[in-house]
Amino acid sequence: MNELVKHTESINRLLARYGVKFGIYKNNEFHEQLFPFDAIPRVIEHEDFLLLEKGLIQRVNALNMFLKDIYGEKQIIKDGVIPEEFVFSSPGYLPECEGICPPKGVYSHVSGIDLVQAKDKTWYILEDNLRIPSGASYPLIARDLCRRAVPRTFKNTSIVDNRNYGKMLGRMLDSVNVGGIKVIMTPGRYNAAYFEHSYLAEKSGSELAVNTDLFVEKNYLYHKDYLGNKQKVGVLYRRISDEYLDPMTFEQDSLIGIPNLMDVYRAGNVALVNAPGNGVADDKGIYYFVPKMIEYYLDEKPILKNAPTYLPFYEEDRKYVLDNLHKLVVKDVAEAGGYGVIFGSDLSEEKLEELRQLIIRESRRFIAQEVIDFLDLDILEDGEAVPRKADLRAFVLSSGDKTEVWPSGLTRFSRNPDSFVVNSSQGGGFKDTWVLSQ
Amino acid sequence: MGIISIAKLDNLYWLGRYTERVYTTVRRFYGIFDDLIEEEEGAYHVYCERLNIPNIYTSNEDFVEKYTFGKDNPDSLYSNMSRAYDNAVVLREELSSRVLCYIQLALDVFESHKAGDSPLLKLQSVLDDILAFWGGVDDYVISEDCRNIMKCGKYVERLDLYIRLSYHTRDIEKEFSKLTNRINKTHMYYNIEALDKLSDMINKKENWKEDYKEALGYLSQVIEVR
Repeated sequence: MNELVKHTESINRLLARYGVKFGIYKNNEFHEQLFPFDAIPRVIEHEDFLLLEKGLIQRVNALNMFLKDIYGEKQIIKDGVIPEEFVFSSPGYLPECEGICPPKGVYSHVSGIDLVQAKDKTWYILEDNLRIPSGASYPLIARDLCRRAVPRTFKNTSIVDNRNYGKMLGRMLDSVNVGGIKVIMTPGRYNAAYFEHSYLAEKSGSELAVNTDLFVEKNYLYHKDYLGNKQKVGVLYRRISDEYLDPMTFEQDSLIGIPNLMDVYRAGNVALVNAPGNGVADDKGIYYFVPKMIEYYLDEKPILKNAPTYLPFYEEDRKYVLDNLHKLVVKDVAEAGGYGVIFGSDLSEEKLEELRQLIIRESRRFIAQEVIDFLDLDILEDGEAVPRKADLRAFVLSSGDKTEVWPSGLTRFSRNPDSFVVNSSQGGGFKDTWVLSQ
Repeated sequence: MGIISIAKLDNLYWLGRYTERVYTTVRRFYGIFDDLIEEEEGAYHVYCERLNIPNIYTSNEDFVEKYTFGKDNPDSLYSNMSRAYDNAVVLREELSSRVLCYIQLALDVFESHKAGDSPLLKLQSVLDDILAFWGGVDDYVISEDCRNIMKCGKYVERLDLYIRLSYHTRDIEKEFSKLTNRINKTHMYYNIEALDKLSDMINKKENWKEDYKEALGYLSQVIEVR
């Protein structure tokens, strides 16, 4: 590993050469930023990964069953396991998706599950991302470059090769394809994750398209070329949010969607990856109920734990949250990307009181969690290893036949020693994640 | 993979044009830069006039700096390289990461420029990267249509610049021949009449250099991509 660390600068130069960037808007201007790579990998022991793998598959299977149930029978609500207020008031719940069963019954094809490891080595799930989680491309390309830098390290260490993500993704897309080509749809190059869209298209053998390349005719979706030839699309891995997907169904002002796409989807003539409406299952409020879902649908005990979470919606939890706000982290359920996260310990008494009043007024809007004492990971700063907070985004792919975990993941870290926020949009960097094969 | 949408046709064509614009004008700039060492102030104005770009420069030195590395100057080599990048970055699956990276590297040369750097020494890397890019296109871009469309853009731009900058007729004939060979392979719609008229002008050889604007007019009508 020490050999690899020596090449940090060269690897970062190569990442820049290959355009490994993410976009960010500051003061209404688009900027592309490099995503700083730290060569000290996160290493996950073989046994540890087996446990993670089992737990992640269990969780994603339950979440998929929940989505099928919510847009179908709603049995979990009828049985009183989850209050309906939490489902139907969720901004991610889309009544337009009621009664639609996607091809092979899969809703969350690509799930990005965020975890942290506590100092006692216990893994905790921080959140589920079931809409359009991004990040797999970064460790994917970094691994390729690391292998070039120190081939001997990879020869002498039993590290599972993670470079099959493109093939895994391609296979999964094929498995739900209803007949036609497979397309990755991007909002365009000014999207924050554009590098990933284009890189995954290259690696998975999919067409990369923007909305103007696609059109609906007689309830089928087509891709057209410059000579006017059209090809049917059987699966669309869309990397745009639900609300912009189809202006005839959702946001009418959307200029990046495809008119009437939802009609094609409803008729079963295209698979949408991930399915619209998944936001109801990765709502931060619903997160609280995932362990209950696992027990309800699978009749199993959850293998992976949630971070200890309180719902101010419940009176007992609200009382605890209001009394202990100074030591909790409060999250606005409508926010993402590290925004809307408030650490009670950072607030003055006056601000704490303001937050208490807000929680009392809008109790459904927030969740509160105990601050987990993360296991810090070393990163290299000015040539020295220093500990920083880090999380892991694991990628779980669900096809019609199986659910599998990519044996790697995106490890993001905070470069600020006092911060728990690891998001790239807030200045964080990333590491490769090595899973040991024995 | 392999479907070329209308938007991608546009990107491929303009990638060819902007890459060539940077390549040929950098090469031309080498001569101009050398001339400016001894020539009187303002000697660059003929070049600006021929390229039909506004003469916003206040001195030879100002021209050398702003025309090459001027980030806010829409006619600078830097800006043209940025436009090449804008078209290339949406073509990763057509070009492949290993070919796209040469456009990134060429842009990085401009972005890393600091006051006091020698423009000519840095621009050599830009030429190297562009040549590597075209070598990569031939070696790694699988779709023949993609290669042909890019090369049509390249030859249209080269002809445009050669005509504007009064290159030798022999060079223009050679580039015209490359364009006509390539254009038939693209399956794009093009204006045969304009191509014939341009051909007539080039073949007549005498006096047509005085009518270069007419030749440019025909050239601009040959392929009409946004």
